[in-house]
Amino acid sequence: MTQQPQSNAPLTEATAAIDAPEGGITRKGLSAGSVGLIGAIVIGISCIAPAYTLTAALGPTVSEVGTQVPAIILLGFIPMLLVAFGYRELNRRMPDSGTSFTWATRAFGPWIGWMAGWGLVAATILVLSNLAGIAVDFLFLAISQIAGNPEIAGIAANPFVNVVVCLLFMLGATWISYRDMKTTQKLQYWLVGFQVVVLLVFSIAALVEVANGNAFDATPIELSWFNPFAVSDFSALAAGLSLSIFIFWGWDVTLTMNEETKGSEKTPGRAATLSVLIIVSLYLLISVSLISFAGVGDGEFGLGNPDIQDNVFFALAGPVLGPLAILVSLAVLTSSASSLQSTFVSPARTLLAMGHYGALPRKFAQVSPRFFTPGYATIVSAVVASAFYAVMRFVSENVLWDTITALGMMICFYYGITAFAAVWFFRRTWFRSVREFFFTLLFPLVGGVILSVLFVTTLVDSMDPDYGSGSSLFGVGLVFILGMVVLLTGVAIMIWQAIKRPAFFRGEVLTRASAD
Amino acid sequence: MSDVTIVVGYTANESGADALALANRIATAAEGLLEVVMVLPSEAHNARVPVDQGYLRYLREQSREWLTEASAHLGADVASKLHIRYAESFAEGLINAAHEFDATLIVVGAAGGGRRAHARVGSVANELLHSSDVPVVLAPAGARDVPVSQGITRITACVGTRPGADAQIEAATLLARATRAPLRLLSLVPIDLPAGLDEHLAELTSAAHAEQVLQDAHRGLPEGTDATVEIATGSTIEAAVQALDWHEGEVVLVGSSRLAAPRRLFLGSTAAKMLRELPVPMIVVPRTLHGKTSQ
Repeated sequence: MTQQPQSNAPLTEATAAIDAPEGGITRKGLSAGSVGLIGAIVIGISCIAPAYTLTAALGPTVSEVGTQVPAIILLGFIPMLLVAFGYRELNRRMPDSGTSFTWATRAFGPWIGWMAGWGLVAATILVLSNLAGIAVDFLFLAISQIAGNPEIAGIAANPFVNVVVCLLFMLGATWISYRDMKTTQKLQYWLVGFQVVVLLVFSIAALVEVANGNAFDATPIELSWFNPFAVSDFSALAAGLSLSIFIFWGWDVTLTMNEETKGSEKTPGRAATLSVLIIVSLYLLISVSLISFAGVGDGEFGLGNPDIQDNVFFALAGPVLGPLAILVSLAVLTSSASSLQSTFVSPARTLLAMGHYGALPRKFAQVSPRFFTPGYATIVSAVVASAFYAVMRFVSENVLWDTITALGMMICFYYGITAFAAVWFFRRTWFRSVREFFFTLLFPLVGGVILSVLFVTTLVDSMDPDYGSGSSLFGVGLVFILGMVVLLTGVAIMIWQAIKRPAFFRGEVLTRASAD
Repeated sequence: MSDVTIVVGYTANESGADALALANRIATAAEGLLEVVMVLPSEAHNARVPVDQGYLRYLREQSREWLTEASAHLGADVASKLHIRYAESFAEGLINAAHEFDATLIVVGAAGGGRRAHARVGSVANELLHSSDVPVVLAPAGARDVPVSQGITRITACVGTRPGADAQIEAATLLARATRAPLRLLSLVPIDLPAGLDEHLAELTSAAHAEQVLQDAHRGLPEGTDATVEIATGSTIEAAVQALDWHEGEVVLVGSSRLAAPRRLFLGSTAAKMLRELPVPMIVVPRTLHGKTSQ
């Protein structure tokens, strides 16, 4: 690791630049991108990765709320939006690579800040392992479709093969992230366009099959699917909502791209609105068409069948599209691959910030001198995500399902803290203007309360051994155990760090602050 | 103070330390100006990962620290400035900086960390060699261990029969004068002949030819240039390079390949082979020089 000199070390007379604006160092050129409206929408959709998200989340959501998935999708967007407003205000006021960690530390002090950072890192590491797991399934499916041999798709069920291939995926994604390899804008537009078109084709084909009477379990579409009050009880609603938080996760980046979008000041707002409209329409169309095609029963292709619930496109692509099913495999594969890269960035940058402020060992703050990426933090994230996946694959038969449910819980945890951090940080300016009242007090406060309720409800309900996929350890639901192990591990590491690195925990590095 | 301006492409690793140490040594010998440039990736065309202002600021801070720390290793008697530039690639950023500062030379570390002491061209240096219109100095791995006091003890210009030799001799003369180092004209002609030529005949004609080329080149040097001539011998470039004597403070100039577009660099096969064997830094000169060195 490079030694850290004083950043404002005096330069000697002979070396001091006269025209230097910044500590004797000149700089020039574009640091930020100039992303237009379309570019911002593409980044937004690419980060949400709708093809991957839906195949992973649709089954678990159906198992909670049955046919009311469309209602949950519409409802789940609300807390996400409310929290995203607070996130945007914080990002505008204190742009920092540590995001939730730094903001929560500023607002509530080091301990809560540390746990917010931990929640973010844990959530992204959970999703990394899930992403790679989904990618493995679809890789084998794509190969079997090309080779015309359905048995190949079954190889993915072998835990040893599965884990090895998954680790290879992870290695590839780490390599790409570490070296900061970029796809061209054009290719990225094509990939996202392809993903959206395939999802459209997939749902329209399902509806056509329903109309032709070829559907597996044709279910007539009803208005009650859009009515959240038709959900059986509050626990199911909470569980469904915490899953739908996951499906919009990543959308918030379009709101925070305020600094670098070109064109008018309205671009980021428009991009965020348009991308969310596209995403919500897609989600509604697919959930409605697939429920209508396959029903929510537990038959072979029913969305209520636990055997297919953790990866529904994997099971349904063939019956719906026949020979064109390969398109769905390719869309999910490219979707998870590009999402793997953008997802890698966030735990790595948060760990980097935690290292930088002394909340974790200094090594985490290391930046690769060649690629300018958080090298050490990237590798640590990859190793932890891989180890997590490997262990889970052997502990649970429904690893993908359980990680998605635990993931929803983690997102509620750290997003909730972030929302409250926004409210508290801006406490002195709440009533300065109508705008500030809504964006720094009301919206994030309501969003934060909803997320906390979801978090607590999910946590309590998940103690039931039948919760989620029904995996359990020692008579307690696996999702609960996962959630608690992740959080308590965080607490343990935090205490260990507090002993080794007291300065941060005494509030000497990042002091508490508030906007004024 | 001479009008030699050196742009050094700095990275906070061994390769960057090699480049900086060599640039420092040349700038000290030539009493020139050192422009230390760090090139950060531009996010202008990033279409996958959302740009994070906080992280960009962190990188900027980190780069400032790196530059400030690196500048501490420069001698007090070298005039230097530190810069951060954003570009799509390292090579693009350096070439732009070289134009901005009207630089005489661009110095980079040759390899991304070669296994051997000699230079292997890394991807960054390679990209630069294919697109620069300013002479590029490749600092071999280990250049960081050569003290500044070593200075520049001799400039060797490899002279061929191909077009481009003029620009190269011009650059060599200028550098020799600026660093007050003696000049050695080296002919690689006997080894650099097309394959398939009758061996005896080739030897005869090429020896005579080499002599002729060197004489011409020598005569063409400006008044008062201290120059010696030498003809490389050996059956291969590798053998010839090994047979010659090299000072520790020596620098070798080679011309760009015939394949290069006018005013652009391109490392020819001969030069590439030499680079693998040379124990000293190599400068690759474009066919026609850009900027003030061609005046």
